[in-house]
Amino acid sequence: MKKYRITVNGKTYEVEVEEITAPAPAPKKETPSVSTIEAPKAKAEPAPTPAATPKKATPAGKLTINAPMPGTILSIKAKPGSAVKKGQVIMILEAMKMENEILAPQDGKILSIEVTEGSSVNTGDILAVME
Amino acid sequence: METMEQKLEILRQKREEVRLGGGEKRIKKQHESGKLTARERIEKLLDEGSFVEIDAFVEHRCIDFDMADTKAPGEGVVTGYGTINGRLVFVFAQDFTVIGGSLGEMHAAKICKIMDMAMKMGAPIIGLNDSGGARIQEGVDALKGYGEIFFRNTLASGVIPQISVILGPCAGGAVYSPALTDFIFMVDGISKMFITGPQVIKAVTGEEVSPEELGGGLAHNQKSGVAHFLASSEEECIESIKKLLSYIPSNNLEDPPYVEPSDEAYKIIEELNTLIPTDPNKPYDMKELIKKVVDDGDFFEVQPHYAQNMITGFARLNGRSVGILANQPKVLAGCLDINASDKAARFVRFCDAFNIPLITFTDTPGYLPGVAQEHGGIIRHGAKLLYAYSEATVPKITVIVRKAYGGAYIAMCSRHLGADQVFAFPTAEIAVMGPEGAANIIFKKEIEESADPIATRKEKIEEYRDKFANPYQAAKRGYVDDVIEPSTTRIRLISALEMLASKREKRPAKKHGNMPV
Repeated sequence: MKKYRITVNGKTYEVEVEEITAPAPAPKKETPSVSTIEAPKAKAEPAPTPAATPKKATPAGKLTINAPMPGTILSIKAKPGSAVKKGQVIMILEAMKMENEILAPQDGKILSIEVTEGSSVNTGDILAVME
Repeated sequence: METMEQKLEILRQKREEVRLGGGEKRIKKQHESGKLTARERIEKLLDEGSFVEIDAFVEHRCIDFDMADTKAPGEGVVTGYGTINGRLVFVFAQDFTVIGGSLGEMHAAKICKIMDMAMKMGAPIIGLNDSGGARIQEGVDALKGYGEIFFRNTLASGVIPQISVILGPCAGGAVYSPALTDFIFMVDGISKMFITGPQVIKAVTGEEVSPEELGGGLAHNQKSGVAHFLASSEEECIESIKKLLSYIPSNNLEDPPYVEPSDEAYKIIEELNTLIPTDPNKPYDMKELIKKVVDDGDFFEVQPHYAQNMITGFARLNGRSVGILANQPKVLAGCLDINASDKAARFVRFCDAFNIPLITFTDTPGYLPGVAQEHGGIIRHGAKLLYAYSEATVPKITVIVRKAYGGAYIAMCSRHLGADQVFAFPTAEIAVMGPEGAANIIFKKEIEESADPIATRKEKIEEYRDKFANPYQAAKRGYVDDVIEPSTTRIRLISALEMLASKREKRPAKKHGNMPV
């Protein structure tokens, strides 16, 4: 079984291709190519990755701040549109019984805050978007 | 017959040829790509004028393809010995200007000779890597070369410190020699390490990635944990190598170098009494505590960018070298996770192999929960830390700063894993689990049957906290030797280290253990 990633109109599919011909010594190139066309048809379904990608993808020129671990947003310290300095506290994430400070990774402007106080988040969820 | 004068002239000519490596043009190219040459690097690394070259006249003996006519002055690697701050080291530096620093049979033989000498003499070996990879023309002889280096890396492991410096490409099989050594240094922008490069990855999986993103300095210092140090320039990198060497002995039979302390040994540090927030939910920077305690506030961190919830590094206490491990409450609440366990276990084993006492500062709520952690094998990786601490026979001192719960309490060098001295701050909470969780289980019935469950729950949490979330339960059993005022930490650690200096501890004879790698 071989795995291929195929991009059609910008959408990525992960397909597995199985060679059906008998394991005869050195089959001709043409034969497997038939099954390569068939196999993806039967199995081509969007891999879970492309569905998740848009949510986690970083828009060009923007920087997302993601949750380092699962927890609850205790308080939000920065407002959308406000300028922040590197290391400034943007919000407090309560997790593992600790008030974890979520810090700005660099100087910039907060474009949006994606969570509200009290919301629970999972690892990797977008908390805020910075410029 | 040649006269003596002529013979000398021939020698000088030959030496000059080797000194030039790949020639002026390629040296210029090396400089243009922001890199120093192999000889310049050695010069900067070693004490001035101390370098003595070995095997300058070694040549390859490959006649296949174009190799019969290819001259490779020095075989693409400069090897020899010298001193760093007066201490003997062996060094090899791959020369990218000579057929891309590619590794052939004789190139490898030069490296192997130097490694053998380093082991015999009990001196560190430093490898400066800058090579395009295996010399393909030499076929299986090149592979033999790599294999023999790996074999020696393994034999030397735990006998002499082995340091790898990546100062250019290091791809394919070449990466495994550094991986077998104790420390890997990388320089931002010029170092690249990968098993398969971006082109192969693109052809096989379709993923597009730049070499820097895939195997640059930051990738390996932050994401993969392959490298230990990241410098912004070759000069800065060389300074960190020298600093690292100042903390470690030349071999496993020696003690680390003693440095006449300039800092007062027995001083009360008042700020430490107020540094730790009494609210266990408030984070603080553990590095501040470490810097206040050690000599001159000088803490040399190892892997500072990787698994930052665990701090590892070297420092001195009253002039003696120590290895420090600490949970960082500021990152991931100081949880133990896969990467933190891995990072810490490796550091513990290095220190134990080279007679460097271990100081552990504990403040961890436990292991990080999550499917990714469980399926990633936190059981197996977490076990490494238990193994490493239990196996270590160097002096082991633990300071429980605040939280020490459950399995993580045990893992952070508890008395039960053989700590020689365990101190606890009055803020320490040593228990099987946190008050919230424990109260929910122990007082489940009372809370459920209460008229006001929320109030009862709160009450019971407080009851549990008062009773168990303190250092005195553990001190009652002698698991904690003493509850100390934080301001006296430095004094107590120095005193304990002096007391433990003559520690002797034996382990049962065995071929080797089976660490859960």
